Amino acid sequence: MTASRLQHTVASGVVLLVAALVTYISFTQQPADAFLFPRLISIFFIILAVWNFARAVSGVAKVGTGLNATEFKNILPGLIVMIVFVFLVAKSIGFYLSSAIAFMIIYTLYDPAPYSDGKAWGKRLIVTVCFMAVMYCLFALLLKVQTPSGILF
Amino acid sequence: MNKLMKTLATGFAAVAMTAGAAFAADYPERPIGVAVSYGAGGATDFQARIVTMVAGNEDILGQPIYIVNKPGAGGRVGWNWFATEAEADGYTMSAYNIPHFIAQSIKGGVSYSADSFEPIANWGADPAVVVVGKDSQFNTIQDMVNFAKENPGKVTLSGAGLFVGHHIAALQIEKGTGAKFAYIPTKGGGAAAMKAVIAGDVMGGINNLSDAFRAREAGNVKILGVADLERNAEFLPDVPTLKEAGYDVDNASVNFRGLMVKKGTPQEIIDKLAAKVPEMFAHARVAKRMKAGGSPMKIMNRAEVQAMWAKRQETLKDLLAGL
Amino acid sequence: MEFLSYFGGVFEPTAFLLLLGGTIGGLILGATPGLSPTMAVALLIPFTFHLSPTQGLILLGAAYTSTVAGGAVSAILLKIPGAPANIATALDGNAMAKNGEGARALHLSFLSSGIGGVIGVLLLIFLTPVLAQWALAFSYSHLFWMAILGVTVIGSLDSKSFVKGLLSGCIGLWLSMIGFDDNLGAQRFIFTDALAGGIHIIPALIGLFAIPQVMEMFAKGRNNAAIEAIEVPKQSLMDSMKELTRNVRALSIGTIFGSIIGIIPGVGGQIAGLVAYDQARKFSPDKDKFGTGHPEGIIAAESANNAMVGPSLVPLLTLSIPGSPTAAVLLGGLIIHGIFPGSDLFDNHPQVAWTFINSMLIGQILMVIFGIYTATWAARIARAPMPIMAAAVMVLALFGSYSVQQSMGDVYIMLSLGIGMFFLEKFGFSAAPLVLGLILGPIAESNFTTGSLISQAQDGPWVYFLTGTLNIFLIALVFASVAYSFWSNMMHGKAVKKMQEAAS
Repeated sequence: MTASRLQHTVASGVVLLVAALVTYISFTQQPADAFLFPRLISIFFIILAVWNFARAVSGVAKVGTGLNATEFKNILPGLIVMIVFVFLVAKSIGFYLSSAIAFMIIYTLYDPAPYSDGKAWGKRLIVTVCFMAVMYCLFALLLKVQTPSGILF
Repeated sequence: MNKLMKTLATGFAAVAMTAGAAFAADYPERPIGVAVSYGAGGATDFQARIVTMVAGNEDILGQPIYIVNKPGAGGRVGWNWFATEAEADGYTMSAYNIPHFIAQSIKGGVSYSADSFEPIANWGADPAVVVVGKDSQFNTIQDMVNFAKENPGKVTLSGAGLFVGHHIAALQIEKGTGAKFAYIPTKGGGAAAMKAVIAGDVMGGINNLSDAFRAREAGNVKILGVADLERNAEFLPDVPTLKEAGYDVDNASVNFRGLMVKKGTPQEIIDKLAAKVPEMFAHARVAKRMKAGGSPMKIMNRAEVQAMWAKRQETLKDLLAGL
Repeated sequence: MEFLSYFGGVFEPTAFLLLLGGTIGGLILGATPGLSPTMAVALLIPFTFHLSPTQGLILLGAAYTSTVAGGAVSAILLKIPGAPANIATALDGNAMAKNGEGARALHLSFLSSGIGGVIGVLLLIFLTPVLAQWALAFSYSHLFWMAILGVTVIGSLDSKSFVKGLLSGCIGLWLSMIGFDDNLGAQRFIFTDALAGGIHIIPALIGLFAIPQVMEMFAKGRNNAAIEAIEVPKQSLMDSMKELTRNVRALSIGTIFGSIIGIIPGVGGQIAGLVAYDQARKFSPDKDKFGTGHPEGIIAAESANNAMVGPSLVPLLTLSIPGSPTAAVLLGGLIIHGIFPGSDLFDNHPQVAWTFINSMLIGQILMVIFGIYTATWAARIARAPMPIMAAAVMVLALFGSYSVQQSMGDVYIMLSLGIGMFFLEKFGFSAAPLVLGLILGPIAESNFTTGSLISQAQDGPWVYFLTGTLNIFLIALVFASVAYSFWSNMMHGKAVKKMQEAAS
């Protein structure tokens, strides 16, 4: 299955937009010396992006599966958890605690076992604790990385 | 439910307040990080690792110091990060290189200046030296300067980057001799600049005394002159200063290395570090390792460093005014 | 044959224990996402303070060899390349692990690492003086052309569409320019504070490879329980060895390219694996199988990046010039003990120099033994149920990208790149050419800038970049590579058309 022509057009349109922005910045920013190389690259970038866009519009682009609604619905909850976890809470709550919570949530969201199954909850808890213990041993004890501890841990 | 939340919130607040009060007295209660603005293995990096190795001793800080490398753009990446993103809590220090960061801040385009940081203490001073390959036609600094006067802009000199000690030295040499050189900043620090000299990619180079000393021991280069006020008696007693050779070049390019914290760090913590860190630098084991590595030491306390920073700020402003 | 007389030093009880510890520790550190060999060696330097110079170097040498091989473990099992060297391994290795052949992939990876590695060290022992001259011959113009040669590989690397491969490469080149410009210190494309430090290669690798894969797992949803269905046949060591002997072509391509490219200062280590992978594919009759779990891919990539270890130390040991970041760290480790590489090292401290080299030789063998021994056990990781795997890779990505420079900025970059890459992959773009652009951009640019500056003091840029035997040779290679890519692209297009016509 390949993506629809519309999807390809939108995707290559976004890439074209980025290429246009890069080209614009490269040619307008100073000092010129420092932007010599970006200018060179951006010329290739924009030519390729236009070519790619033309192929998408004319329906020649066939590579790539594109996105479908079911898949996207499946991804969305996990993606939201991941973004909230990394961008918003990891630093302020502390790496270890927030990781444990995020791990547990992702595991629960995508675990086929039903939510009413008490044994499954126990397993999830044990796996989470074990995994975090390994992470702690590896990063805190062995490598002595100082992770942000936030307000808790 | 609401009550529980309230209790929890009060609890947190109480914990936070106690932590704040106990902060300075117990400092440090966990390992301290030092951000080095150059790559692992470079002179600043390995010297920083040596001088901080006894920090964990009970009579020094009682907590180990670990190194985090943030290399890029001649140090700008690391110091920019330190000035904008690091916490001013005493648990993140940075290694400074003078004249590098002051020259860069005068030149502009960065988010720091000498006022963004508080010096703690200085551990080393590494003068810039002029080196040429072992088969070079130049045997003295006069040979090189005379050649450059006859062929303006044809003598290529490699160095670790723009607005670092090596560049300052090159600018001073041009000013002091009246000859025109082509200064070539290389990516990859002093090691890359030295490679260019040994491989013959450039006609000569400006490099750190410690690295040049090792390269000469290995039989790869000749050292023509030292950009300092006096000869280096410990490592290079036979190499003349540029001043002796009759050129007006002082010690403005000498690379001073030390530790600093961010402005806004509690005064008690600065005082404690300023008292303990010079002791750490002076430790016998540190001195032994530094000497073995060919790295000249110069321990200065906080007040001395503050004076040195202020003086460099003035000299560099004059030197860079014409550029 | 001088090295033989110093073998005793390696087998002294303390030294051997250190060697063993360095090897096992190195494998663990290398397999940890976010820890490149450079950082692993830097982390071990404080331990050498308490050891004699010889012992310290044994530890560092063993750790260096095994971290490079250890990076393959996370590349294969988690699709998180430990370092740029392991990118190519992730392409086929992870596909194999997903088919339940993780143990086979690990066996092949360790065996070819060991063989490549031993040959690399032997080159270091016997050809050092010749190789040192070769390393010095590469000046700025040559390194620039080398980088361009690498760029020409982009179009054909792991991408079904030529245009999209090149476009992915351009995106990578652009990403590499973000941050402070290395030569002039000007700020470029810094839209937010997190980007001020530029895009560090390791967090970028973690994001670009691991995050799309996590999202792929999310896409399967919660009711898909078919993940643990694959029954794994037990992989015997004999079978793996036989498989290796059937793939001598890939093994020799990997070893030869790895050791030749490894010597070139500043370029070698990062691209050796990718270039060898690409060449192995060009020479292989099974081109289309690459990227789907083909043993040749793993063998070429892993033999190349361990073959590089020995030769990459040549400039360091003979001329005191560190040719790679890891060599720079080793130099620091030597200097701390008052030993200066160069003629001084071999003349006045031969026992240090040769014991170090010997320890890398024995270290390679220990690394293979230990790696094979744990492979079956480690391969189970890749078979963990999908939700656990997704959550674990996500958390590892966070910790790994943070620990590189202890910076939240790197973490944000990691996730943003990863999410972007997921969508790009859905439309036929791929991560490998993008990463190659990210690696080669700074090399091409800085050598171009520095070369131009030098040329201005000489006969101008045209003479500097376009004359000289080595320049012309490299330029010819660039043209040959471009021509080959176009030709094979056209042939492929024709073949596809024919197939479609036949089908309709």
